[in-house]
Amino acid sequence: MNNVMTLWQSRKQEYWSTAVKYLRLIGNSGFLFAIYILFLFGSYYYGRFLEWLPENFPAVLFFTLVFAWIAARGRVRTFVKQADLVFLLPMEERMKPYFRSSIRYSWLMETGWITLLFLVLAPLYSDRIGQAAGPLLLVLLFLSLLKGWNLAASFEEQRIGDETTFRMHKWLRFFVNAGILFLLFSGLLPAAAISAFGAAIIYYLYFRKIKGTLQWQRLIEIENNTVRMFYRIANNFTDVPHLKESIRERRWLSFIYRFVSYSRRNVYKYLFARAFLRSGDYFGVYMRLTFLGVIFILAVDLSWGRWLMGALFSYMTVLQMETLRYHFHTSQMPELYPLPDKTEEKGLIYWLKILGILQVAIFTFAAGNVLDSITVLAASAAVYVYVIYYRIPKRNSAG
Amino acid sequence: MERLLELEHVDGGYQRTRPVLHDISFNVNRHEIVGLIGLNGAGKSTTIKHILGLMEPHRGTIKVDGQTIAGSPDAYRRQLAYIPETPLLYEELTLWEHLEVTAMAYSISEEDFQNRAEELLKEFRMTKMKNWFPDHFSKGMRQKVMIMSAFLLEPKLYIADEPFVGLDPVGIKSFLERMQEMRDQGCGILMSTHILSTAEKYCDRFVFLDQGRVLMQGTLLELQEQAGMPGADLDDIYVAVTEEDTHE
Repeated sequence: MNNVMTLWQSRKQEYWSTAVKYLRLIGNSGFLFAIYILFLFGSYYYGRFLEWLPENFPAVLFFTLVFAWIAARGRVRTFVKQADLVFLLPMEERMKPYFRSSIRYSWLMETGWITLLFLVLAPLYSDRIGQAAGPLLLVLLFLSLLKGWNLAASFEEQRIGDETTFRMHKWLRFFVNAGILFLLFSGLLPAAAISAFGAAIIYYLYFRKIKGTLQWQRLIEIENNTVRMFYRIANNFTDVPHLKESIRERRWLSFIYRFVSYSRRNVYKYLFARAFLRSGDYFGVYMRLTFLGVIFILAVDLSWGRWLMGALFSYMTVLQMETLRYHFHTSQMPELYPLPDKTEEKGLIYWLKILGILQVAIFTFAAGNVLDSITVLAASAAVYVYVIYYRIPKRNSAG
Repeated sequence: MERLLELEHVDGGYQRTRPVLHDISFNVNRHEIVGLIGLNGAGKSTTIKHILGLMEPHRGTIKVDGQTIAGSPDAYRRQLAYIPETPLLYEELTLWEHLEVTAMAYSISEEDFQNRAEELLKEFRMTKMKNWFPDHFSKGMRQKVMIMSAFLLEPKLYIADEPFVGLDPVGIKSFLERMQEMRDQGCGILMSTHILSTAEKYCDRFVFLDQGRVLMQGTLLELQEQAGMPGADLDDIYVAVTEEDTHE
């Protein structure tokens, strides 16, 4: 028993020491500053957004669905690894305290996330439903308890071998959550409390009785899904080795590959095109940042705010796209290719130019009036020009 | 005989202070399959890394078709194709794209590429998987992608590091037959392996590596003579000479 808890402690520590390393890297980059600026703009426009939001906005339903989803997703962090399939499998019987700690730990972490999300939504909450539903703190406590129930239930639930039945349980739990939360946010706290009590009884009568061994493969999958988001974010700032990204073919975009003709000089154009569209999150990040940039340019109605947003989002985008360069550094094969100098750099710059022109055009268009269009165009284009013609060549000659 | 690959008194390793290879000298000629034989950790893969130019020798020279890598990196690299021990694939490229990008990098004409690629796919029974991503490949299929990429280039010199690992019997047969065909056409092949029975059957000469040194080299007959074991097979000779070595 002692052994198992030492294992738990060391696993937890191992995770946190890597997490802190990544967090420090993220903190040291310009990213936090960008977030801070967005936060300033965001808080100003939040108030105006609430004023603009129509009276008949279904706030109760909105809160119900958001928090039902947050509460229902399983996410017990067990810190299990692929190799545990071999090494811990024989210990399953003795692992109970380990998993109990996992659930407790996850509960703490998830409560933190729920609190954060609730604070972000707090103005909306007090503006629309606060009076009926009761004080913030009480609701938070309720949400936390509900999350605890979900974590405990989801852990028992993962023993179900059959994939369809397992999935059905997840959905049923979501609806139970939604029902309880609807009562809570509608201002029927006693009714919500009674139904939550009912849910607790169901846990003891039903979930605790689920038979079956642990589904290790599934536990590993849940664990991976839970940390993937974090690693993915960290991966934008540094190379995260344990992040195995799945490949998405995106066949509808395959016409883009035709821009690259068959030639020795185009080897890296060929490779980067596929890396950008299929692997990791390059394409998703590009689309999201472009979309967010448009939203912010549309929302901010100060001229200087607009070009600042344009430059900011272009900078965030190009920072991430630049990492394409390292994408193939883990493979030995390109090193062996008989290629002329700078093929890699030229390939990278080719795509950065195309992505840049596209994004700058979209931002310019979003700015609307002529004067703002010109300043947004100049600001965003300046960012790309700086990176493409100054930063990348310089970095290359240095390394 | 024309020498395709020459190693002369090569010392090498990751650190200058701690060399892994000691005074390695051997050749691979045209029309020849040479087996690089050694236990795990004997220095086979390190030797190959030096030949590929991924590592630099501390002393001695390595020439491919008379050229060093420092003299003309492009011309040097274009002469050789490499089949690595663990398949190195691009997860975001389909099988066909792997072949295409390799052909592009080595300046194979587009027409030649199409013809050779189709033929290779058929021979290695991978035509159906043409548009698959490596994610769906077994270990053996991944190895086949590397093998096909190498044959596609039709270089003068092949460097194969443990090429049979994970291959199915049909795959091994196709691979070896093609190797022999290439040899007959005038290519040189250096193949590292510890599957000695196969090596004995297919290789023309052998280089025994042990702890970073060349222990013995020659044809099977020459090795039998040197070891004083007439008629013995490769397995027995190798075990006998390495045992002798550790007793010293």
